[in-house]
Amino acid sequence: MESQVLIVVVSFLALLCLNIPVAVVIGLCTLIVMLSMPEVPATYVMAQRMSNGISSFPLLAIPFFIMAGILMGEGGMSRRLIRLATLLVGGFRGGLAYVSTLTCMLFGAISGSATAAVSSIGGTMIPAMRNHGYDRDFSISVTTTAATTGLLIPPSNIMIVYAVVAGNVSVAAMFMAGVLPGILVGLLIMATCWFLVDGAMVQGEQMRDAKPIDADPPIESVSRAQVVLSALPSLLLILIVLAGILGGVFSATEASAIAVLYAFLMSFVFYREVRLQDLPNICFRTGIMTSGVFLLISTSQAMSWALAYLNIPQTIASLMLEVSENRVIVLLLINAVLLFVGTFMDMTPAVLIFTPIFLPVAEKLGMHPVHFGVMMVANLCIGLCTPPVGTCLFVGCSVGRSSIASVTKAMLPFFVSMILALIATTFLPFLSLWIPQLLDLL
Amino acid sequence: MNYLAVCLNKILEVVVTILVAALVFVVLWGVLSRFVINVPSRWTEELATQILAWISMLGAAVVFRRHEHLGVDYFFNKWDPQARRINEIIIQLAILVFASGVMIWGGGCLAWATWNSGQITPALGFRSGLVYLCVPLSGLCIAVFAIDEIGKIITKPGEEW
Repeated sequence: MESQVLIVVVSFLALLCLNIPVAVVIGLCTLIVMLSMPEVPATYVMAQRMSNGISSFPLLAIPFFIMAGILMGEGGMSRRLIRLATLLVGGFRGGLAYVSTLTCMLFGAISGSATAAVSSIGGTMIPAMRNHGYDRDFSISVTTTAATTGLLIPPSNIMIVYAVVAGNVSVAAMFMAGVLPGILVGLLIMATCWFLVDGAMVQGEQMRDAKPIDADPPIESVSRAQVVLSALPSLLLILIVLAGILGGVFSATEASAIAVLYAFLMSFVFYREVRLQDLPNICFRTGIMTSGVFLLISTSQAMSWALAYLNIPQTIASLMLEVSENRVIVLLLINAVLLFVGTFMDMTPAVLIFTPIFLPVAEKLGMHPVHFGVMMVANLCIGLCTPPVGTCLFVGCSVGRSSIASVTKAMLPFFVSMILALIATTFLPFLSLWIPQLLDLL
Repeated sequence: MNYLAVCLNKILEVVVTILVAALVFVVLWGVLSRFVINVPSRWTEELATQILAWISMLGAAVVFRRHEHLGVDYFFNKWDPQARRINEIIIQLAILVFASGVMIWGGGCLAWATWNSGQITPALGFRSGLVYLCVPLSGLCIAVFAIDEIGKIITKPGEEW
């Protein structure tokens, strides 16, 4: 069995380095392992695991949240959110850094996609911050790291994926559990900005008289009430979804469909930014983004079945508990492994493959599966911003036109704040469990 | 081959678009029927998951065609043109092996066996094998795309790389 594990790890890394699509890499590694099990009809079982792995009602929420995100993001949502954030936190020193953080959090939560948040908010905020004398790499770092909070703040697709693979946790509980840790990450990022803002101003502080953010119509011409009113419908999307799920009115999947309907009405009737002829394209983009994620889900499900068949989760669990029975040490160990995995593996496959492996260990130590899920997502969010594979980092660098190496350097203090938030999330269970308990979801 | 791949891609794009639209209507209908008419319908849930499987599989083929599946291009970007070309061929071969071995062969066997077992889905009364058909079909498209890509790489003159 050890040899099989070795084969998986080595072939995985080798194939990955060849720029083979990650889903195919996972699929081929699974195939290799399964072919080494003579009693299993490898390709048959794999195809079965792959298609059964994606035919699940809770997962249906993912395409709908993607679509709602596209519908809302299509029009001027980023512009409206930036204006709202400017009104709220833009007045402080280093205001634009806070505006950028807050907008990314809101946009990430509504669109459910960290990369979408980086590209739409970064597209406006990074040039705006440059114009106000902020260092380019600093601006990219703020935007990129803040965008990952959207994965913790509901609605969040990765939380749905976790709920499906963990089995006995509800999507509603996961959604609510992510709220406080997500806000904590955001606040720590803002705190980091506060510390760094003097060093980050290349041409001194010139923001007071510099041209404000390039928004149309200009920010000054719009009254405060208008700013709030125009951003409100976008934020209401989050509320409708959460209130619906929490009130027991709909399931997460139904709520996501309602979110699509709401986003459609908003962007089509209220804001009038989406036209009828855009709809086929929006459907198509939803389909493409969905299938990119779902191919990963399906091959990861096959791999996680193969690992379970070989008893690898149990073996790793007993190995880890042999190292130490100490809760703190084991949790630190799990986090270290996940941080390492997160640097080169995308979030979805990492959650699908490592949840069955680490969740039993965590549960044996008395950790609640909801708490574990939040910790895992908070951990893998860091991996989204690290090279060699960090989807958010890639998008941030391309939007902000900088190199991965120099942005990574500027990002170091932000990694520190994210890791602090991770440690807090890991060792303070109430951060994740308090709200779900309050709402009677556990 | 190239003509076939182009046509296939066009068809898949249209089918995926229609399926997504259908998915929205089916699930919304399910929600509305539960709240407005107060008759929870079981078939919407079943149909929706089946449509989702088709979208994911057929859409995945389109994503392969558009080279949009996530990969690690760190080393790839450092290769010289010739090595890059060989690397490209290896990528497409890996995709071809996966598509034909797992999706066409394994998925084909799966669809065939389930179809012949005569199982019927509980709410819709479809043959259970039907939904598995999306796997070999998608595999077939992915294989065609991969072969087309390999053809393109080989026939392209070296200087352009």
